[in-house]
Amino acid sequence: MSEKRKYKKRYCKYCEAKVDFMDYKDVANIRFSLSERYKIMPRRLTGNCKRHQDMISIVIKRARAAALVPYVVTRKKVVTNPFENLK
Amino acid sequence: MRHYENLVIIKPTFTAEEIAAAVKNVEEIITSNGGEIAATDAMGMRKLAYPIDKSERGYYHVIYYSVAPAAIAEIERRFRINEDLLRFVTIKYTTNREVTAWNGLVEKAKKAAAPVKEETPAEEAPKAEETTEAAAE
Repeated sequence: MSEKRKYKKRYCKYCEAKVDFMDYKDVANIRFSLSERYKIMPRRLTGNCKRHQDMISIVIKRARAAALVPYVVTRKKVVTNPFENLK
Repeated sequence: MRHYENLVIIKPTFTAEEIAAAVKNVEEIITSNGGEIAATDAMGMRKLAYPIDKSERGYYHVIYYSVAPAAIAEIERRFRINEDLLRFVTIKYTTNREVTAWNGLVEKAKKAAAPVKEETPAEEAPKAEETTEAAAE
């Protein structure tokens, strides 16, 4: 089964875009590295390099503190997507 | 002097004047501790990702400033006492890369806020873009 992975081998999206700094207020860019339940996606699935994964994890945690991104999404909240309401 | 950024969330129950007063109060806290405000960015009223103190919405305001590192403890202490604020987030910019990013953010914030008197070129820049776009059309 391990050969039939859902995710293929990926390249680092942020390296390609040459991102040097991430802003925690820019939620649209953070969204890529978050799962449906707003967990931080692991590197093996997104293909981010170590350097950018470290950056994104810090930025996501800042955004959570600033109530831009939820910490947890319960079953109740999944229906009403927080990002839809933000716009 | 070190570069910092503060994001404050002001209570949603306030009227426009009360919000303006609260923002002024926050800026006064920073300046009274020797901080120099470089730019401010009002993100406006938006929905919070999770309720804070039973409020679902909040008024976001971002302040970019530089201050001596020792003063941050006092500024944060004053913020904690301040009951107008639901939440504040302090970010420091230390490395060269972060400082250049800070400068970029300040420029961006200045451009977004049109009525900034000091930065006349920044004000003219978006206008020039508009005219070029109009010419292209």
